[in-house]
Amino acid sequence: MHLRTIEAVNFRNLAGSVEFSPGLNVIYGANAQGKSGWLEAVYLLATTKSFRTSHPREAIRHGEKEAILRGSVARGSLVKEIQLLIAETTKQTFLNAKREPMIRYLGNLDAIAFTAEDMQVVRGAPDARRKFLDRAIFGIQPSFLGTLSEYNRALKQKNALLREASETDDPLRFLDLIAPWNDQLITLGAEIHSTRTGYVDKLRERLSPGLFQHETIEIRYKSSLDGKGDLSDYAGLLRERMGLRLKNEIAIGYSLVGPHRDDLEILFDGYEIARFGSSGQQRSALLILDLAQLSVYHDVFEEHPIFLIDDLDAELDRTRIEILLNYLDGRAQTIVSTSKRSIADRYRDRAATFQVQSGQFLSANQRTNM
Amino acid sequence: MLDYAEPVTRLIDEFKRLPGIGHKSAQRLAFHILKTPQEETNRLVDAIREVKEKIVFCSVCNNLTDTDPCRYCASPSRDRSIICVVEEPYNLVAIEKTREYHGLYHVLHGALSPIRGIGPEELQIKNLIERLRPDESGEGEVREMILATNPNTEGEATANYLARLIKPLGVRVTRIAMGLPVGGDLEYADEVTMHKALTNRHDI
Repeated sequence: MHLRTIEAVNFRNLAGSVEFSPGLNVIYGANAQGKSGWLEAVYLLATTKSFRTSHPREAIRHGEKEAILRGSVARGSLVKEIQLLIAETTKQTFLNAKREPMIRYLGNLDAIAFTAEDMQVVRGAPDARRKFLDRAIFGIQPSFLGTLSEYNRALKQKNALLREASETDDPLRFLDLIAPWNDQLITLGAEIHSTRTGYVDKLRERLSPGLFQHETIEIRYKSSLDGKGDLSDYAGLLRERMGLRLKNEIAIGYSLVGPHRDDLEILFDGYEIARFGSSGQQRSALLILDLAQLSVYHDVFEEHPIFLIDDLDAELDRTRIEILLNYLDGRAQTIVSTSKRSIADRYRDRAATFQVQSGQFLSANQRTNM
Repeated sequence: MLDYAEPVTRLIDEFKRLPGIGHKSAQRLAFHILKTPQEETNRLVDAIREVKEKIVFCSVCNNLTDTDPCRYCASPSRDRSIICVVEEPYNLVAIEKTREYHGLYHVLHGALSPIRGIGPEELQIKNLIERLRPDESGEGEVREMILATNPNTEGEATANYLARLIKPLGVRVTRIAMGLPVGGDLEYADEVTMHKALTNRHDI
């Protein structure tokens, strides 16, 4: 699949539209001109989520009621028009100018983004790694979104009970009330566990060893129940642990057991990357993970999602950029942003290059020397 | 200063309290009322007053009714050995439309939701348990309870809670099935429903 064109209306400071090449695209321009905004627009149009903010309404231009992103997506000779409307309280999705339910809209265009924000995956807390996994899974198995949101809802309900129980003198009367939520958390939790471990196994097979010389990473799904019993009967073990920890849960006022406390262990040359890796190693590790995600997607759908890299030169050195772009060449449509014109110049013979100024793409004869 | 004369503002404010009505709709409704002939408005006022005066909750099943007990609970032709538990009166109507179910009902008036402060005390559960006690003659004994709460997190938890409560009393407890809508094409099913239908498949 590739994104042929995108148009933005009332979205941040962006204006106008652009026609991308199916291969490598380099967007360059001075800072604060809208390069990242355009990448964000592409990612939003594909996933309905932003990599810069958890509230896409923040991207609506000041004083306007709604922002619209429109794109045309090509799969072979088949072209579809997709549109995302962002309003203060809602997001609406359209396919070929007609409303399309979100769950069917997703998948018409898919994107994987490599951004500064994503560095949390290799640098930050487990929660960023769980999000990375879950987002990757949604791309190939949309029903997982339903499972996960049901789990989170049941968890919220259970936590409300635990909080109340922790504040009363008679917590025992809450046991009967907590049990039905635990039952649901066990069923849904077991599904989340098997889906995530299954995905990590697929991802592991696709980690490119030696992509960046001898930098290799290993990954493992680290369940919070590791070492507590037989993980092959996850539901049974989760039930047992919930029973054992219930008193502690009531004392502390929130849930202590379940896949919402799991992690993805990432080892770089045998060491935990988040604690012992250098910045460069962390970037390489994230790239290797993103590329593995790209491969798994291809294994499932026999096509590649588009690959976005925000602020290419800030995140990667020249050698890594070269290796990365060579790897992506001929595989996935790639759109990168950079503040350095020299990078655009270096790739001009094999890439479509675009200059952005004040949110707009300049035509070839408007382009300036920066 | 008010945008409109006080009575108009008051009407708009009252409409705004209704579910699904925002400021613009409230304004539109208020001006519609102002334009309608008096007798039409009277009919609306009477209908609202009458519904509040005449409609009560059935003392047996908590359904909305103008006679107590309601027509399902009072009907001699209904099967008294089976009770279908639903969240809201309109869920009952949906099941009744099938004309396939001839048992009795019980309306909970909601589902468990600790976030919103709704526990078993806030639902009509106590009088459900009372209905399960056979009277002295031993007649009218309930043999089965169908849990037809909504297929979402709160509905599931409510069904689960009731099952734990009722099974020890020796009553058969069943849950309505979840899966594909009948008469539709597979291609129209969303992923979550399809996933549930595949998980809950059965041998034929």
